[in-house]
Amino acid sequence: MTARLGFGIGWRPPIDLTVERLAGVDFVEVIAEVVDPRRLPESLRVLRARGTPVVPHGVSLGLGGAELPDPARLAHLAACAQALRAPLVSEHVAFTRAGGLESGHLLPVPRTRAALDVLAENVRIAQQQLPVPLALENIAPLLAWPGDELTEGQFLTELVERTGVLLLVDVANLYTARVNLGADPVAVLDALPLEHLAYVHVAGGVLRDGLWHDTHTHPVTGPVLDVLAELARRTDPPGVLLERDGGYPRDDELAAELAAIRRTVREARGAR
Amino acid sequence: MPAETVAGAGAAREGLARRQAELLAALVGGGPAPEGFDPDRLRVQARALLDKRRRVVAAHLPDLAEALGEQMPRLFAGYAEGQPRPPGGPHADAAAFTAHLRARGLLPRGTGPRRWARLPGRLRRLRPGR
Repeated sequence: MTARLGFGIGWRPPIDLTVERLAGVDFVEVIAEVVDPRRLPESLRVLRARGTPVVPHGVSLGLGGAELPDPARLAHLAACAQALRAPLVSEHVAFTRAGGLESGHLLPVPRTRAALDVLAENVRIAQQQLPVPLALENIAPLLAWPGDELTEGQFLTELVERTGVLLLVDVANLYTARVNLGADPVAVLDALPLEHLAYVHVAGGVLRDGLWHDTHTHPVTGPVLDVLAELARRTDPPGVLLERDGGYPRDDELAAELAAIRRTVREARGAR
Repeated sequence: MPAETVAGAGAAREGLARRQAELLAALVGGGPAPEGFDPDRLRVQARALLDKRRRVVAAHLPDLAEALGEQMPRLFAGYAEGQPRPPGGPHADAAAFTAHLRARGLLPRGTGPRRWARLPGRLRRLRPGR
């Protein structure tokens, strides 16, 4: 079983004071790429002094890419973990660079045996360089690769078996995959080794022209909370974190979203 | 691929590198659609990456973004479509977008990069408004 984190919210510079003031924030996550580990933002120092765990969350390592993990990016993630005395770090099952180009955002990895070999090797290299456990997140897909050999559940499960990596299950991204690719979140949850669950992401999005865009700038919707409830019926999640990256609402609206997330987990656990 | 990258998964890396490079070229480099992908989804994904890139540049140039207002998406698309981001991260992309507008006489007055943006890192941290 992994460390108990509780309920949390993504710490972002525009809402740093809000995050400090919000009641019931047991842990936070910070985008590793915006942190200078030698000069931590005052707000993160305040949270750490209070004993609130801070989890560095990388978005540019691209462990699903064809190249070996970039040593400088890996060293940065490790330095963030050390500076923040983090219990773990997290990244994504994604690629962000290829052929000399940068995507600027997370792109899906083809779910083939060959891509899994590369990913597993990159994950093991990353684990050797990181001072704390690594958790990897399923991304929000807008497109699918042709010729996938494994389902998302099979792919992630085999990755865990081969590397011991922890899982960061994003329930909004599972919902995104359902809308955009027809992948059933329940089937993924049933396949995953949830004893390796580190924590869960919840976020809002919007439907545009029949596709779900995981914007993190819209409110969390009922169908995403339904996936969270499905997960919580299967396991007691060690942590659940709300991600908001823009279009920030008033503090009381963020507090209400956190409360809805807590209620969803509590009710699902009670209804088992 | 450099020799040191050929580890246990070496052969798999070569094939994966080719597939990912083709997809990324189609999404951000104006390259042809790789075989087997849904062309509509490629367009949606390319658009999503462009929107993300624009938001990052806008965050680096808040004065310019505010001055351009609703024109920003159209003008940014005119700059960035089929034009991969330059090396040097968001700063370089923001600078290239500004230069693109200036060269076309589209740069609103008084919205160039702030002077602190050209200062060395140590001094830049002292900039006002943080």
